[in-house]
Amino acid sequence: MKAGLSLLVAAVLVAAPFLTGGYELQVLMVALLYVTLTTGLNLVSGYAGQFSFAQGAFYGIGGYTTAIMGRDLGTGFWINLPAGIVVTGLFGLLLGIPALRLKGHFLAIVTIAFQTIVYLGLIQWSGFTGGQNGILVPPIGAVSLFGATLFDITGLTAHYWLTLVFAVVAVWVAWRLVHSRLGREWVAVKDDETLAGAIGLDTTRAKLTAFVASAAFAGAAGVLNAHVMRGVTPDDFTIWISCTVVAMMVVGGRGTFLGPIIGAVLLTILPELTGSFAQYKLFLFGVLLVVIIIALPEGLVGRWRKSREARA
Amino acid sequence: MDLFLQYLANGIVIGSAYVLVAIGLTLIFGILGVVNFAHGEFYMLGAYAGVLTVTLLGLPLIAALVVVIAFSAVLGVFAEAILHRALRERDMTSSIIASFGLAVALQNAALLTIGPRPMLLQTDLSMLAVEFGPVYLPLPRALIPVAMVVMVGLLFAVLRYTWTGRSLRAMAQHRTVARLCGVRVERVAMVTFMVGAGLAGVSGFLMSSVLMVTPVIGNMIVLKAFTVVILGGMGDIMGAAVAGLLLGVVETMTSAYLTNGLRDIIGFVIVIAVLLFRPQGLFGKSVERS
Repeated sequence: MKAGLSLLVAAVLVAAPFLTGGYELQVLMVALLYVTLTTGLNLVSGYAGQFSFAQGAFYGIGGYTTAIMGRDLGTGFWINLPAGIVVTGLFGLLLGIPALRLKGHFLAIVTIAFQTIVYLGLIQWSGFTGGQNGILVPPIGAVSLFGATLFDITGLTAHYWLTLVFAVVAVWVAWRLVHSRLGREWVAVKDDETLAGAIGLDTTRAKLTAFVASAAFAGAAGVLNAHVMRGVTPDDFTIWISCTVVAMMVVGGRGTFLGPIIGAVLLTILPELTGSFAQYKLFLFGVLLVVIIIALPEGLVGRWRKSREARA
Repeated sequence: MDLFLQYLANGIVIGSAYVLVAIGLTLIFGILGVVNFAHGEFYMLGAYAGVLTVTLLGLPLIAALVVVIAFSAVLGVFAEAILHRALRERDMTSSIIASFGLAVALQNAALLTIGPRPMLLQTDLSMLAVEFGPVYLPLPRALIPVAMVVMVGLLFAVLRYTWTGRSLRAMAQHRTVARLCGVRVERVAMVTFMVGAGLAGVSGFLMSSVLMVTPVIGNMIVLKAFTVVILGGMGDIMGAAVAGLLLGVVETMTSAYLTNGLRDIIGFVIVIAVLLFRPQGLFGKSVERS
């Protein structure tokens, strides 16, 4: 049953460009980008228990890395992608250092400050970042191996499939991380940091790796997003993007594996269903968030799991 | 030197507005433990309430001030029901996410009903000016620090000498014990939100003659208020007052002597530095960090 359902979902996702097109496909692609972002955030916030409101900033750093490298060095997507991951990973390390000293809302606020500095930096350092206008980014283009062109990624459909592959890889990597020794260290730090330290875990290392991993996920998504959206501007990476990612994670269920994925898809697609009430989209998004938080404190997946345990 | 004094005065004007917004935020945090992202929307809606009362209804400024306070108090009651009463016994993320949702909803409600066109409060007072030696300030600006001092003074008097103030302070210290001693916790929570929203609303109204009012002005002001609250020490009113003025002055000096581009960043840089080296805030007593 479970395997059948997953296969069905996978088949629908792969076939989506044949079933629909244009706007709907675009929305689906954005949902998949958010899946990568929330899965990344879930590593540090859901598993390691450290608040972070900086996912939007890492997303932006990834995007700007590819945009600036493409502009100044003429490198393409396949070189910029690892570069973007490394650069955002380093920024994650930078932000992770205060995480060694701070907890709870203090940490939340440092990440908010970091997010805001990055956003304002993108606007102000206009010689480097293009300021408010941002930078145009070309589509990914032809992919060749040993001189032979394998396939060409230019149109929406090709970018959609790449995003899908990307999201699947991201989710798979997250799954492996969470079920590795490192993942268990994160959970130990979340459950009881003092105890984790007492039994000989290096809690500093655990927290830092969680920050770096979560930033790297967002950086990768940022690189892809820049090419898919054909450009980067500072307003795509505000504190509100970070809050949206946090909201998706919480709505789906923090610390559950499937929760953030479901939350990302739901909160991207639900506001799009407003149809002729499109101008109320953001208003309804806000209301939806408040209602879900009040009604489902543990998130959708958390609630489902709880009710199943209650029956068993 | 003259120019320096002028910058200082401008900084104090902006800083006074920060103080009013930040004190509300720090009260709500200190007493109820709610991290309120929608606080900037209290500022924005207060500004609109005032500007629309004056321009659409043609009422005098004092009447507009009464409308702003009444409207903000109602907004505070509404926000308390959502962010505090409905979310009791939950961790901090719940109030952060819920208040983020509320902020998005209020901001877009303002956009849908009032529209994106910027507004500025213009009255007969705008023409008048105050001069202290070399310092020149239009009257509406000069009134902002005065209003700030009056309101903070009032708040202190209420906290110090009234039963409501005592219950507020008792709640801030220990919720359960306060309840056992007969503090009506529900009422105190509501009053806290009303006062917080009122201070932010009045700040927005005062600033509406200085800066343009649009539905998104709350975004930056709430971040500035968080900056002030951290610098002053979470939950510390006097700290917030000093830190707010300081931030206003530092920002003005930064844009005057360094570059305008750094103006909005400088506060956040200071916040990160302070949290790393002095987590209890610049003026706060030593507290637990978690």
